[in-house]
Amino acid sequence: MKTGIKIALSITLLSSLSFAGEQFAMSDSDRAMYTDMLENNPADLMISNGEELLEEYCGGDAGVAAFFNISEDDLPAYIAGFPRYLKEFKQVVTVSQALQGLMSKNTHKPFKLKSSDMFDMSAYVKTLANGEKSNIDVNADKYIKEAFVLGEKTYMTARGGRGLSCNSCHSADIVGAVLRTQPLPDLTSKGVAVAATWPAYRMTKSSLRTLPRRFQGCMKNALLKVIPLGSPEMVALEVYLTHEAKGTEVAIPGLKR
Amino acid sequence: MQRRDFFKKLGLVAAASALTPAISFASETKVVSKNTMSYQTAVDAITGGKTVTVSSKIKLKVPEIAENGAVVPVTVNIDSPMTENNYVKAIHILASHNFNARSIDVYLTPANGKAMFSTRIKLGGTQDVTALVELSNGDFISASQNVKVTIGGCG
Amino acid sequence: MQKRKSLIKIKPKKFKDGEIVKVSFMVMHPMDTGTQKHKETKELIPAKFINNVKFNYNGKDITNMTVWESLSTNPVFTTYMKVDGKGTLKVTYTDNTGEVNEKSKKIKPKG
Repeated sequence: MKTGIKIALSITLLSSLSFAGEQFAMSDSDRAMYTDMLENNPADLMISNGEELLEEYCGGDAGVAAFFNISEDDLPAYIAGFPRYLKEFKQVVTVSQALQGLMSKNTHKPFKLKSSDMFDMSAYVKTLANGEKSNIDVNADKYIKEAFVLGEKTYMTARGGRGLSCNSCHSADIVGAVLRTQPLPDLTSKGVAVAATWPAYRMTKSSLRTLPRRFQGCMKNALLKVIPLGSPEMVALEVYLTHEAKGTEVAIPGLKR
Repeated sequence: MQRRDFFKKLGLVAAASALTPAISFASETKVVSKNTMSYQTAVDAITGGKTVTVSSKIKLKVPEIAENGAVVPVTVNIDSPMTENNYVKAIHILASHNFNARSIDVYLTPANGKAMFSTRIKLGGTQDVTALVELSNGDFISASQNVKVTIGGCG
Repeated sequence: MQKRKSLIKIKPKKFKDGEIVKVSFMVMHPMDTGTQKHKETKELIPAKFINNVKFNYNGKDITNMTVWESLSTNPVFTTYMKVDGKGTLKVTYTDNTGEVNEKSKKIKPKG
């Protein structure tokens, strides 16, 4: 990674370090300690693994650029604009789903969306966008427009045993309230970096996790029926929250509780 | 905002609710690993019974409140010239209530240049983390800090 | 010998001879204590953890660590080392099941 990008990376990660409620409960000295941990983020190991997997199954960076019909130079900004509508898939897809398509094209059995191999490989591809500003365009075509609307609806719909929606716990006016010992973070205010710092190493899971996978964990605890990875609703949720992070610099991998 | 403050206080007071920690307390675990060792037994094994002096020469950095018990950062720094005649021989990191109180024993040499060690450890719950240091002249010094381990959150 | 993902990081990246640099070794390893039950099968997950790490620089062991199971999964070991000429830093690590691995990094001081 170029030095310039690496420095910018640290600054962005520092300001967006999203230990749930780092704005509220952590002391300055504690936060400094967790920030130092970024220097040796275990996710670096997984991303190195992802790079090898990409080389083996997808022809590396060059193979991915060719698959999208763009030059390797344009790849970083292009990756920073996912999820996207891709003609060959006839639907809006995430980076992981696009890679599944590429694996199939290369006559390999695609990794399951929930597999650690897919987390590692898609995380590596997303690091190519580090330093770029998150640039999803939800007005690019009718498909992504629909996905945005569906995503917002999914976020706001109360469901499940407790009648909760994502917004019940993550809206701007409840931010800071403590639930199960953790202050609730804001996910939807403009420029909140959430989507730009995932995939991330989750300390409580000791593994690299993606944003949709994180949503599933949260849904389970909130007694909401878990939405499957790759489903229209889950992709739509990712579109919605990525749009809310639009303009923030991509800084991956993150480090989270 | 009043409501927010109330919730904040509630959250901090309710810290350490019971979910499965990544490592068990010595008193709770029915499964005894062959590495089970209490804090005092560990200290005696390391020092051979010699006196240990609490010393401010050791800078022990652990969080006051750990975000989670599976990954707790620990950094130990000791002011030492690290010459052949005067260096830090070993840094032992201990956790007072883990079933195995020993976390790691680091044996340094003057070739390290600085007396420092940093890692991440598992803590089974709120307890004291201790840096027990052996100097080249045979002296033992130590520093401890209590770490509150919160086990909570959604997902 | 199982091939494990690991990294050796030296900070700063560019250094002179005689400088004292920070060295970190990080490795993907479960560090299972042997006291946790599998979520679904409810069976005990057997202990599998790194129990020794050695830093060897130009043929000399400069740091030796006895590691216990309470180190976090995917552990990191950070200390310092005095740069003493061109050479190789070799990290050798073993775990309680007898697995032995090593990782090397060339040390190239500039000036």
